Amino acid sequence: MELQEKITILSGAARYDASCASSGCSTDTPRGGTGNTSQGGICHSWADDGRCISLLKILLSNDCRYDCAYCVNRSSNPVPRASFTAREVVDLTMDFYRRNYIEGLFLSSAVNVSPDHTMEAMVRVAEILRNEERFGGYIHLKIIPGSSPELVRRAGLAADRISVNIELPSSESLQRLAPQKKKEAILAPMKLIGAEAGASLVEQRKSRKAPRFAPAGQSTQMIIGASPETDLQILRLSQGLYQRMNLKRVYYSAFVPVNSDNRLPVLAAPPLLREHRLYQADWLLRFYGFSAEEILSDEAPNLDESFDPKTAWALRNPGFFPVEVNRADYATLLRVPGIGVTSARRIITARRFAPISPEGMKKIGVVMKRAKYFITCSGRPFEKVEQQPARLRQRLLLSDGTEAKLPRQLVLPGLG
Amino acid sequence: MNQFLYDGTPEGLVSAIASILDGGGDPMQAHLAVRQDTLFEEGLFLRTDSAMAEALFERLRQRSPDAVYTLWYFMMAEADDLETSLLRYIALAFEHGDRVNGYLTHPDVKAIVATARKAGRELHRMKGLLRFEQLRDGTWLARMEPDHNIIQPLAQHFSKRLRGQTWFICDLRRRSAVRWDGHALSFGTLEQFSRPDVSEEEKAVRQMWQSFFKTIAIPERKNPRLQKSNMPAKYWKYLTEKQGE
Repeated sequence: MELQEKITILSGAARYDASCASSGCSTDTPRGGTGNTSQGGICHSWADDGRCISLLKILLSNDCRYDCAYCVNRSSNPVPRASFTAREVVDLTMDFYRRNYIEGLFLSSAVNVSPDHTMEAMVRVAEILRNEERFGGYIHLKIIPGSSPELVRRAGLAADRISVNIELPSSESLQRLAPQKKKEAILAPMKLIGAEAGASLVEQRKSRKAPRFAPAGQSTQMIIGASPETDLQILRLSQGLYQRMNLKRVYYSAFVPVNSDNRLPVLAAPPLLREHRLYQADWLLRFYGFSAEEILSDEAPNLDESFDPKTAWALRNPGFFPVEVNRADYATLLRVPGIGVTSARRIITARRFAPISPEGMKKIGVVMKRAKYFITCSGRPFEKVEQQPARLRQRLLLSDGTEAKLPRQLVLPGLG
Repeated sequence: MNQFLYDGTPEGLVSAIASILDGGGDPMQAHLAVRQDTLFEEGLFLRTDSAMAEALFERLRQRSPDAVYTLWYFMMAEADDLETSLLRYIALAFEHGDRVNGYLTHPDVKAIVATARKAGRELHRMKGLLRFEQLRDGTWLARMEPDHNIIQPLAQHFSKRLRGQTWFICDLRRRSAVRWDGHALSFGTLEQFSRPDVSEEEKAVRQMWQSFFKTIAIPERKNPRLQKSNMPAKYWKYLTEKQGE
């Protein structure tokens, strides 16, 4: 098979993985080698779906023995199959990197003979890149559930980031849609990676030469909308992964129907708005000091479609407002709709020079069309603070009228 | 009125600011602009003095490294009509030290920091969007037409990353170029530019990249507006993946 054709098959099969981050670690170019990494990551292009391309995101093989209902590569799907040799992936990575097309490689694979067989082949690609090509760019390796601890260790030593996909937000859904994958086989390597990365950090404090284990940390991904979990269940899971497993990122991937299977919902379109709201809520968990239980409750377990989760929280908690921008602390400022991490920091710095005026808020970069209902500047409100939540909701909706209405998810009966 | 004029060069600008600050008047009341040589122009022309510019730079480095950094990015922007703001920004930097960049509610600080930030953003963007192509003789060429004069820090970045290759980066908008020979960078200007032929291998790799680019997008999520807002069309001219569309 022509290389060109393999690329088409194996990048097409890899595109449903959401992660493309190249951030989280900073390394120098190896002596006599090519490539380095930069802390903030670098995007090299944006695909026709608007998602950033930072890494050569590709499968080593799409020849799969599993039959997971949601997956384009499931064994019962009649799609063309292909596999790369290690050398082909290595050359492709170097050829693309030298032209500055990419920041590095994100390698995943379907599982054919056994998890260890596949994992070993993937690790070999990374090891050839590091040892023979002296490649210093970014490598992200997917860990195949069920592969041996030794291979997970080798993967962590060769890669900047490694990830195990949690696939679905509950073990019931996993059992129903991916019966050949077991929850334990997914969680075991996650725990191992967490422990190894922690141990490696301790070693590095003792000696700078100590080997680095996945310096950019681990991430995971789950599919949203292929199974009946609520947003609250999903956010609780993410919260647990961040707190207990020390994950760097959880990715949410709107379910794109690539197979027909009566266990799957029939969707008019991928639930993109829901995915977007989950990412917003995820940000609240990681950077804004919110807990899953503040964002959602058992009574209202799904994210509001009309409002971002922070605005929705503000509307439910009118007693918290108005916030006085010239006095409030950082954590309080962060809770104001329209004030993000950057503008909260800027407010704190700027008000050391002089009290901030309404004009100053705009200069700082606060989104006033949302914030103005929730703040005062030196005691003066911007707008008459609405006491009636219903009217405030309406005014916010009107001012946000530009937001595109994405299709709602349709769930047909017979599911769950 | 405290009207001052300078010759329009970056060095002249810093040197003029130095002499205004040394002059003892209130820098917040002074105005600085490029000399236009019209009959009715008012103001005192300040001659460029490199030693003075150098000395100001050094003093600023002592007092506020962040402000020097901002000044460096600001110069890349080649902005017009912000001389007076820069003068005031530097005066404030001497007063407040590194905290000055947090004084965003001050209009002059805001103008300078925002301009510098824009240059920094394009530099970061170009680290991703620059494309090298392999020529027949094995050297590599990258072309660009950026809004800001970022070739120097950009070349620094690639001198580390693509250390083992011999390459050129050309800014065709400013007719400037830089060459990396594996050991050192040399900067120069371009008199005329004709694009040399690329290697056979180059054509094959380019095709593979184009195939990858096409299939990596999820068809059900097609979103040209998002693509354009992340990657403005002005950069497409030299993007391998956007050729022949």
